[in-house]
Amino acid sequence: MPQEMVAPDTQEIGGTVDDFRLTAIGGGVVGLQTLLEGKNGAVVVFWSSVCSHCTRYDNYLSGFASLHPDLGLAAIASRQEETAAALRAAAAARALLFPILHDPTGSVAKKWFTHQTPRVFLIDSNRVLRYRGAIDNYRYPNDLEYMAYLEPAIAQFLAGKPLTRTEAASFGCAIRSIYYDLPKAL
Amino acid sequence: MTFGFQPLFKTSDRVIGAGVFPLDAAHAATQSKGTPAIDSLLASAPTLIETGLMTMNSVLQTMQNTVGALTGQKSYEPLSTPPVNGPADIDVAVSEFANRLARVARFTPFEVAELGSVFKKVLSAARVSFDNVEGASPLNLAFPMQLALSCGTLFIQQALRVLVTYEMVGRRNYPRFLADFFESFTDTPVFVGLEYRTLIEDYEARLTRQPHDDATRVELGRMQIKCGLYEAAAGNLLKAASNPSVRPLALHEAAVALHRAGKLEESAQVSRDALTASPNDERARVWLWLTATKMGGYPEYIPCTQRMEMKVGFEKASVEFEDIAPKIGLDKTSGGRGVAVFDYNNDGLLDVAIACAHGGCNLYRNNGDGTFTDVSVSSGLDTAVNSFVITIGDYNNDGHADLFITRLGFYAGEAQLFRNNGDGTFTDVTLDAGLKMWGPGFSASWVDYDLDGNLDLFVANNIGGMFDRKTPNRLFHNNGDGTFMEVTTDAGLSTTWPTIGSAWGDYNDDGYPDLFLSNGLGKSQLYRNNGDGTFSDVSAEAGIDDNCFGSICLWCDYDNDGRLDIVQFTWSDHEAVIHTMRHGDGPPDGKPLRIYHNNGDGTFTMHGRDIGLTGCWGTMSGNAGDFNNDGYLDLVLGNGSPRMDRLEPPILLESDGKRFHNITFAAGLPFGGKGHGSNMADLFGDGRLSVLLAAGGAYPGDLLTTRVFCPKRLPGNYLNVRLAGVTSNRSAIGARVCLEEGGRKQYREVSGGTNFGCLPFEQHFGLAAGTKVDAIQIRWPSGLIQRFTGLPINDTVLFTEGKSEWQRPYRR
Repeated sequence: MPQEMVAPDTQEIGGTVDDFRLTAIGGGVVGLQTLLEGKNGAVVVFWSSVCSHCTRYDNYLSGFASLHPDLGLAAIASRQEETAAALRAAAAARALLFPILHDPTGSVAKKWFTHQTPRVFLIDSNRVLRYRGAIDNYRYPNDLEYMAYLEPAIAQFLAGKPLTRTEAASFGCAIRSIYYDLPKAL
Repeated sequence: MTFGFQPLFKTSDRVIGAGVFPLDAAHAATQSKGTPAIDSLLASAPTLIETGLMTMNSVLQTMQNTVGALTGQKSYEPLSTPPVNGPADIDVAVSEFANRLARVARFTPFEVAELGSVFKKVLSAARVSFDNVEGASPLNLAFPMQLALSCGTLFIQQALRVLVTYEMVGRRNYPRFLADFFESFTDTPVFVGLEYRTLIEDYEARLTRQPHDDATRVELGRMQIKCGLYEAAAGNLLKAASNPSVRPLALHEAAVALHRAGKLEESAQVSRDALTASPNDERARVWLWLTATKMGGYPEYIPCTQRMEMKVGFEKASVEFEDIAPKIGLDKTSGGRGVAVFDYNNDGLLDVAIACAHGGCNLYRNNGDGTFTDVSVSSGLDTAVNSFVITIGDYNNDGHADLFITRLGFYAGEAQLFRNNGDGTFTDVTLDAGLKMWGPGFSASWVDYDLDGNLDLFVANNIGGMFDRKTPNRLFHNNGDGTFMEVTTDAGLSTTWPTIGSAWGDYNDDGYPDLFLSNGLGKSQLYRNNGDGTFSDVSAEAGIDDNCFGSICLWCDYDNDGRLDIVQFTWSDHEAVIHTMRHGDGPPDGKPLRIYHNNGDGTFTMHGRDIGLTGCWGTMSGNAGDFNNDGYLDLVLGNGSPRMDRLEPPILLESDGKRFHNITFAAGLPFGGKGHGSNMADLFGDGRLSVLLAAGGAYPGDLLTTRVFCPKRLPGNYLNVRLAGVTSNRSAIGARVCLEEGGRKQYREVSGGTNFGCLPFEQHFGLAAGTKVDAIQIRWPSGLIQRFTGLPINDTVLFTEGKSEWQRPYRR
């Protein structure tokens, strides 16, 4: 196997992330380089249409392009057995405005060391990983205990400042799980 | 009309009123008068009934075994792999079918038009349950008899559980308890398999057909809360609240949704309306109180009749804590599960692993500068998604602490053994080690039960479904070559009740670790280690015979008398907890945590309320440590339940050697929470014992953030002691340390896992104002006894078995 084909053992903050090429549910092939074109960086979020944790961020992700015109955004749907048709149906039903790429084998999630959704990555224009993990602490913004993680990282990144926090533990629904192979409960 | 959430018991319309959901029904039933016949029956002869049921169960099981042997069927064996094709054993299949019928009852509309759908679902449930069972065919003449016997044993086992739970909860609160229980167990498989969206779509479709079906709208709202969609939930619930038949429940749940959405003012107003609609709804009252605490006090518009005062947790504290989790980088948001503190990279610093119900396992490396770095990805532990309890032990004696996890102890899952490679990475060696298993593994612990120098493994199994039979607890002997062999049957470890907590400690000082089981239902059990690889159940002669909802447990010497006592935490129903909050102690028939005091003659005396353990809490995790450095072990309790409207404070109980004092809020801990992994550790090597609490619940919408409460100041002098076994197991699990200081002695025994919170191997001794440690005596598992003098204070020391010199593990 050529050296460049060997899967990395780990992924470090400050390291270069692997590119990908995936089919968007609306058609066309999109890669990380595509997202970065003409942008200062990009946010990649591993996402699933059946993940309740992801649903919480529908409005945030749909408004992301307006909020951060200097950043590219793509959601990667890697969950086991999630079809493109189901993704399209969910996007239509929930009026989702962000691009969704389909990773049917979960290979990108694996290469990006991602086991649950949602999990976000902030990448700079050189494909260097700047932030990885949760969007926030799952509270609502007007909650006294609300803590944002991604937005402060973006603000510091765009301002050219060092990031105060480069990682926050991800939570969410498993992308691949033996539980999905068991007979359905209902 | 639906029959989702129909109670399992018959409650008349007069009692129920217009409500059709169990909370309504259950609440109304708590108000009912009259003494059902079952009360008199249970009061007259509970032991007789229990014995009778157990005897019938044994007889039927013997018949089952006989029929099985005659037909050449394999006897039941615990699963090693997930049953992706359905159950293969008839008993498991019958339980699975019953669990599926419960879900059909819970989630299918009760309408004539749905009868066809119900029929199809029942047939489907039967097919999924029995298709993979060997001999499950009409052509097999023995099958009907096997089926009947299996149903019989299941019925008896369920009757036993009902008997015991009824005895513990009491008639008044039993309907609500049963409704909660039914809801949790029917929900779990749906949420684990991410099928909740199907239910939401079903509810929405039904509402499209019948927009005024407010009972369904309430269920939709409640489901949305469980999914974390609080604002959508509040919208549906407030809309449904216009219907008087569901108004109290809809308003209470709406208040929950609004509170969780951060809309405290609106939540308080809706709670007020909920209490106006149902003035005796204590759950609504507590929720309003919780909202008010976050608002800085009750708003003026809340009438006095709806207010309450927290009556516990304000005793004088000798230590004040602050939450440092965000500052040090341990503020992991998750469903909260096990927390283990150990030194994974042998740099002398204590690192932290946090399991997670909704995500992977995180490993945090202690940087030595007061911060931690998340090394989950590079370590490989991030792959351990949906892990539950973590337990640490160096099973291969290579000097690197290894990690074992269980999964979803209230459902089922695969356990995993991760070998520490010594280079910062871990490798899953479960298969090679012979530890592949599938089941409701709850607690697990490392123990060298035969003192051969290799750590063996014990896994305590709960039940994974409401109608599941008990999955056997399992003891695995370490062969010393990286593999394990199951010895459960030969060891004589057999348990009827679902087990939650398990702990090993040498109570009779014969050198061999004994086993205490804290069963989730029924009586606890004490197994004496006979020293020959077998165990004897000595519960009755030891005086351990009280029924309770046993939670996790641990061995410790709480009164410094040199003998190991048992701390058994208990889980109490919500009503008992509310009683504690409002009245200062648990209800008279409640079951607070208890300490079984070791009398030194093989018997134990149960202490509880008499030593200040007066409160009933829904304890899911707990641990012991001397956080105020006064020389007596204190306790921390992480509390709650899966319910979204049950946020319960963690509890700190400070010991003065004679009594425990609830100092929770006086010490600066929060009023709300949902505690799973609780732990205590000196994270910075400075003598301040931090309390770690991984918080959150089973539902995806119930995520909370881990907290680390650190004393603001060093509350007293201390000495931390670490041990490294040589002839004994490397982790020194089972070693006993006696510290002598100022005329008194303190004892610790190194634990191989305290369930949700795996304590560090480091033993923390508080010295109060003491300025000199007179001696430390160590009894190693190998039997070697060593005594050391001339030790420092306010330091951390490491003793290696057989060596006369001690070291300082911290590189300062």
